[in-house]
Amino acid sequence: MFNLDYSWLADPVYQGWLIRGTLTTIELAFASSAIAFVIGLFGALALTLRIAWLDAVIELFVEVFRNTPPLLQMLFFYFTLSTVGLRMTDPATGVSVPLLSAFACALISLSLFGGALCIEAFRSGLDSLPRAVTEAARSLGYSRWQRFRRIEAPIASRICLPALTNIMTNQFKTTSQASVITVPELMYYAGQIYNDTFRTAEVMILVLFIYVSLVSLLSWGMVRIERVLAFPGYGKGA
Amino acid sequence: MNRTDALIELDQVTKSFGAFQVLKGISLAVKDGEAVCIIGPSGSGKSTILRCINGLIPINSGSIRVGTHEVHKMKTEKEMRPLRHQVSMVFQQYNLFPHRTALQNVMMAPVQVLGHDRREVEARARRLLAKVRLSEKADAYPGQLSGGQQQRVAIARALAMEPQVILFDEVTAALDPETVKEVLTAIRELVDEGLTCILVTHEMKFAREVADRVCFTDHGRIVESGPPAQIFDAPQDPRTREFLGQVL
Repeated sequence: MFNLDYSWLADPVYQGWLIRGTLTTIELAFASSAIAFVIGLFGALALTLRIAWLDAVIELFVEVFRNTPPLLQMLFFYFTLSTVGLRMTDPATGVSVPLLSAFACALISLSLFGGALCIEAFRSGLDSLPRAVTEAARSLGYSRWQRFRRIEAPIASRICLPALTNIMTNQFKTTSQASVITVPELMYYAGQIYNDTFRTAEVMILVLFIYVSLVSLLSWGMVRIERVLAFPGYGKGA
Repeated sequence: MNRTDALIELDQVTKSFGAFQVLKGISLAVKDGEAVCIIGPSGSGKSTILRCINGLIPINSGSIRVGTHEVHKMKTEKEMRPLRHQVSMVFQQYNLFPHRTALQNVMMAPVQVLGHDRREVEARARRLLAKVRLSEKADAYPGQLSGGQQQRVAIARALAMEPQVILFDEVTAALDPETVKEVLTAIRELVDEGLTCILVTHEMKFAREVADRVCFTDHGRIVESGPPAQIFDAPQDPRTREFLGQVL
């Protein structure tokens, strides 16, 4: 029934594409997760200030990016950022090129998408902090920012680590949609390879395996981090 | 008492939460080195009085002075910093920081807020943990400590700020009867050393032993105040008599 032919895998060109594609996928996933993490942290902090207009802006941001398909967001950024205005003249060739590469557009789009999810995750983490902890910090003279940095953020980020693992897993998988805007990541090269070889099933099985391995490794790493950061009485703490 | 020599002075303080008026004109003066116990039924505003003194809760009218700080005029957390250095608080639910060890809990604020030298603070913290008899628990996390142990760490944490005043908010209410004693012993030592203390408590026997003065609150007012012997043995107000009749 299965007549799989992996002989094309011996071709160094395809090997190079797979490796480069995998590295780009990892790069895109980690960079966008890191930015999303920062957006989430500051977005959730801003929400605690309870400034009406700021709340409305953040709310709108979260709703827009959480409730629309990431593929649509990516296409939107790719076509708006690269065509509307943001172009520059390449000093070497004198040709007008988009200021932002496809990779940059995918990174911005994925960061905002993940950022919206991270804001919600951190918000739930901060909401679950015992109010007593905040009161104690205030009574000890901590300023708003110190309180967030030294006490609330360290506890809240531990509480929402499992949620962050989910978001990062999602980021990893969503990077595949960047292939549509020609970002040369794993999915993009996979397409190149099966267009060349017509070995669609073989390529897809291999790519599936690579994604499973990457995300499993990520989950394993996150669980390790959860263990290391755990403190008694919460989550994985004994 | 001469009002000017009071360390803490509350004058006609009122506070409402929504439509509910918790404090209906509280006036209270506490001298340096005095131990004042506030007793009264639940919901009578005892804890709210403490939270107003260190600015955790803003008041609606009246005035609060602690030393040279006019608490009712302070608007921001930043303005309240010097006040919070002077006034520490110990809470019913201990309120320790769960992600830090006992020693770190005691050290955090002096290092991070007051900017004191870390090594000097560590020596101070170890001395204070020894004082509350918890030296061997320095590296334990709050989640690994019993309620009584956590509360003693909280007392050490309050003391590490080198305050002039400590506010105790029903600090034994959440504890097992056996561990109440160890916490009360720690507090009694502080009172004996002459630290100014305001204690909200349900431990009538303890109040009688340690307090210089006892205030009985009911429905947002201080109904009666005086030396413990007078309040417990010869209460004047019928409400005080009724309350003591129920709890003693």
